[in-house]
Amino acid sequence: MNYKLVFRLLGRLMMLEAVLMLPSLAVSLIYGQGDALAFVLTMGITAGIGALPAFLLKPRRSDLNARDGMAVAGLSWAVLSFFGALPAFFSGAIPGLVDAYFETVSGFTTTGSTILTDIEALPRGILFWRSFTHWIGGMGVLVLTVALLPRLSGRTSLLAKAESPGPTFSKLLPRMSDSAKVLYGLYLLLSLLEFVCLMLAGMNGYDALIHTFGTAGTGGFSNYNASIAAFQSPAIEWIIGVFMTLFGVNFAVYFHLVRREWGVAVRSEELWVYLSLVALATLGITATLVPAGTGFWTALRQAFFQSASVISTTGFSTTNFDLWPGLAKSILIVLMCVGACAGSTAGGFKVSRAVLLTKASFREIQRTLTPRKVSVIRFEGKSVQEDTLAQLGVYSFLYVCLALLGGFLVSVAGTDLTASFTAALTCLANVGPGFGAVGPVENFAFFPAPTKLLLSFLMLAGRLEVYPILVLFMPSLWKKN
Amino acid sequence: MRIVIIGGGKLGLSLAQNLVNEKHDVTIVDRNDAVLQKGMDTLDAMFIKGSGVSSEALKEAGAQYADIVIAATTWDEINMLSCLTAKKLGAQYAIARIRDPEYLESLPFLQKELDIDYVINPERSTAREISRMLRFPFAGSLETFARGRVEMVDFRAAEGDQMVGLPLKDINKKNKNMPQVLICGVERGDEAIIPKGDFIIEPGDQVHVVSDVNTITNFFNYIGKGMATVRSVMIMGGSRIAFYLAQMLIAMHIKVSIIEVNPQKARRLSETLPEANIIEGDGTDQELLESEGLADVNAFITLSDRDEENMMAGFYAVQRGVKKVIVKSSRDNYSAIMHNIGLNTIISTKDVACNVILRTVRSRASRSSASVERMYRLMEGRVEALEFIAGVDEPYIHVPMKDLSAPDCLVAVIVREGQVRVPFGNDTIEAGDHVVILSRRTGVSSLNEVLKVK
Repeated sequence: MNYKLVFRLLGRLMMLEAVLMLPSLAVSLIYGQGDALAFVLTMGITAGIGALPAFLLKPRRSDLNARDGMAVAGLSWAVLSFFGALPAFFSGAIPGLVDAYFETVSGFTTTGSTILTDIEALPRGILFWRSFTHWIGGMGVLVLTVALLPRLSGRTSLLAKAESPGPTFSKLLPRMSDSAKVLYGLYLLLSLLEFVCLMLAGMNGYDALIHTFGTAGTGGFSNYNASIAAFQSPAIEWIIGVFMTLFGVNFAVYFHLVRREWGVAVRSEELWVYLSLVALATLGITATLVPAGTGFWTALRQAFFQSASVISTTGFSTTNFDLWPGLAKSILIVLMCVGACAGSTAGGFKVSRAVLLTKASFREIQRTLTPRKVSVIRFEGKSVQEDTLAQLGVYSFLYVCLALLGGFLVSVAGTDLTASFTAALTCLANVGPGFGAVGPVENFAFFPAPTKLLLSFLMLAGRLEVYPILVLFMPSLWKKN
Repeated sequence: MRIVIIGGGKLGLSLAQNLVNEKHDVTIVDRNDAVLQKGMDTLDAMFIKGSGVSSEALKEAGAQYADIVIAATTWDEINMLSCLTAKKLGAQYAIARIRDPEYLESLPFLQKELDIDYVINPERSTAREISRMLRFPFAGSLETFARGRVEMVDFRAAEGDQMVGLPLKDINKKNKNMPQVLICGVERGDEAIIPKGDFIIEPGDQVHVVSDVNTITNFFNYIGKGMATVRSVMIMGGSRIAFYLAQMLIAMHIKVSIIEVNPQKARRLSETLPEANIIEGDGTDQELLESEGLADVNAFITLSDRDEENMMAGFYAVQRGVKKVIVKSSRDNYSAIMHNIGLNTIISTKDVACNVILRTVRSRASRSSASVERMYRLMEGRVEALEFIAGVDEPYIHVPMKDLSAPDCLVAVIVREGQVRVPFGNDTIEAGDHVVILSRRTGVSSLNEVLKVK
C-alpha cells in the first residue's frame, strides 16, 4: 500500500467531511439548542487532523492502484464514521462513543438502525446531521469527492468503483468526474422533487428535509420515534413509498431517460424484475392482511409502503409489521435478502446478482442433463463472462457467511434466534429494522458494546459490498510497496 | 472532443492515455475482456465490450455523436469497416490504421468509397520518420500536406549560407542551380514573419521552407545541410518498414542493402525492390555484416521484429564506427538501457503512429471549420499552416495570383492532380486544387476569408 497517498486522500476526505458539517452547524445555530459548539469542535478537530496528511505528505507516486483504491474506500468509511460520530458525542446527545459510532455508521451506510430510545429528545442540529449522513452515504462520499475534486488522482474510477454497488461497474460518461457529477445531479434533482412533494403534502421544511435525506439515501432515519407513522397521513406515505422505490432504481436508467434514450431505459431487465418484486410483494402482503381484518386500501397502502421500504433497504415504517402474519413477514425477509438495483443508492444483495445467480443455477441444472450443451448466460442483452459468474458465486458465499456468522455472534449477547439473525441481516443489507427484539418499534440500544461494533462492521461490509472492508484484515494490504 | 477508439491494443491504449491527458472524452471499444479490464484500472475512459463493426457496440460507445473515430485494431479490414459504420452512424471524422502494402495502391479510392478521412500506416510513417532523420538530421520539425506530397521543413540559417544577406527575390538569381523552394516563414527572436520578396534572412533565423519532397531534399543537399553524406544505407531485417524505407531511399538515389534471414521474404523483397541489394542471412552475424561492408555504410538501421537482435546488431555497428545507427524497439522500457550503451536514435512504430494520430486529432480540435483539411501550428502557434480544397464557384478561382490580395497570408503551394507547384504571379487556383496557405491570423476557416480579388 502506498501509505503516503492513501493517507493524503484520507486527510482530504476528512477536510471535506468538516465542510459537509456546515449545513448542520447552520441548523443547530438556527434552533439554538446548544449543540452548535459540538459541531464547531468536531469540524476543528476533523479538519485539523485531516489537514496534516493532506498537506504534509507528498507521495512520490501519485497514481492510485487497485489495492490503494480498496484501502481508501474501506478506511475512509470507517474513519469518516468515527469523526461523524463526534458531534453527537460532544453535545451529550449520545453519551457513549460506541453508541455514537454505531449511529453514524448506520447513517453513512444508509442502514437506519438506531440505538436511540427517544429520538425526539435530541437537538435538531444533531438530528439534521444524523439524517444528512444518509444523503451523503447514499450516493457515496468517494463519488462526491471525485465529482468535486477531479484532480485528486489520475485513476479516480478505482475509488468510485470500490464504493459503487453492483456486480459490475460501468461509467455513464467517459470521464469519471463527469459521471460522478451526473450521478449527483440526478440525485439532487430527485431529492428536490421529493422535498417539494413532501412540502405540498403538508410537512414542514425541517421534517421534509429530514425525510428526503432518509428516503434519497435509502437510509430510514426519522426525527420521530414513530417514524412515518407519526404523520398519520396517507398522502405522505404514498409519496415516500414511491420515492423509496425510485431511489432503489439504477441511476443509469434515469441517465438514459434524461438523455431521451427511452428504449435503453425501458429495456433494463433488472428494473423490471425489481418493479415486479415490489408489485408481487405488495399484492402478497395485502392478501395476507385483508383476511386478518385490515381494510383493503389501508392494507394495500401499508403493504406497498413496507415492501418498498424493505426492498429499497430504507427501513421506514408506518406500522409495526412485526405483528403481521407469518407469511407477510416471510415476504419481507425475502425482500431484505434481495435488496434493490445495482447502481442505486440502496444496499442489499442487489437484484442483478439475484437474477444472474438464478440464471446460472438453471444452467447448471440443465447441464446435468445435457453436459455437452454450450450455453451462455445473457443479462441486459449482453453475454455474461464466466469470470463474472465465478466471482459472483464467491461473493454470494461471503455474503451468506457474513450474515450467518453475524447472526451467530449476535446471539452470543443473548437475543433469540429471530432477533439475532434478522439484526445481522438487516445491518448487512443496510435495511434498518429487523424482527422481534430489533423490530420496527424497537431499537438496538440494548446490545452490548462489542455487538454494536460487530453490527457496525456488518453495515460497512454491506454498504461497500464486502471486499473493501475485508481487505483491511489482510496483512498483505498493509505491506509497503 | 468526443473520441471513440476501436481496438485497445498497444496503439489504442497509448493513444487513449495521451488523449485523456489532453482532456478529451475517450471511449474504447474492444472485444477482449482482459484488455478492457486492464484499461479500466488505469485509464479514465469509458470501455465498451464489442466489435468495432457492430453498429450496436458503436452506438453504445456513442460513435454517432463522436467527433473522431479511430480504428486501431490489428486487422485492416475491420478498421476500414469500423470507420465506414461509424461514419454512417454520424461520426464526424474517421481515422483508420491500414498497413498491408497490398492495399497501398487501391488506397485513394478505398478511402473515398469507405468515407475514411485519414489513413495511418504505422510502418510507412515510421519509414518516413527514419528517412526524415537521415535527410534532415538538424530539422526541428517536418510537416506534410496533400497526402505527403508537400513537405514543410525548418532549419536555422547560419553565417555563410547561400541565402543569408540577400533579398528573397534575388536568392535564386544569384544561385542559379539552387532548387527552387518557397521560404514561407521566418522566426526571428520572438517575431514570426511571413516574408515578402524584399525580406533579407539573417544568421540565426529559423527558416521554414516548403516544396515537394524531392525538391526539398535537393535543396538541403545544395545548401550543405542535408545528409548528402548518406550515400549508402544498410538495413537489417526485411520488414514492412524496411520495404517502405528502401522505396523512399532509392527514390533519393541512396544505395540500400537489406539483410533478411528468411529466404522467401528475401526473394519477395528482391522482386519488389529490384534496385536494392538484398542479402539472405542473419543480421546478427558479425562476419556477414563485415563482408557486406558494414564499415563503409553511412547509416545502419535495424528493423527486425526482435528488439534484442536490433539492439545487439545496433550496438555492434556503433562499435564499428558507423556514423548513424537507428534501432527499432517496440518496448518502452528498453530505451534507457539503449541510451546507456550508446544507441541514441531509437524509433518505435507505436510512438510514431501515436504521434501522427495525435497531431491529426490536435489539428481537428483546434481548427476553426470543417473545410480545413489539415492545420499545423508553426512557430509556437503564432502562424498557422492550413490546407484547403478549392471550391467550385468561388471568386478566387481562375484569377492569376498577381490579381489576388492576401493580407497577412501567403499561398505556399498548390497541388493539382498530384503535381506540386509553388505559385507565381501568373498561376491560378482551380476548383479541386489542394491549397496550402500560411496565415498569421488564427481561426481562418475558408480560402474566401483570406483571398480577395483586387
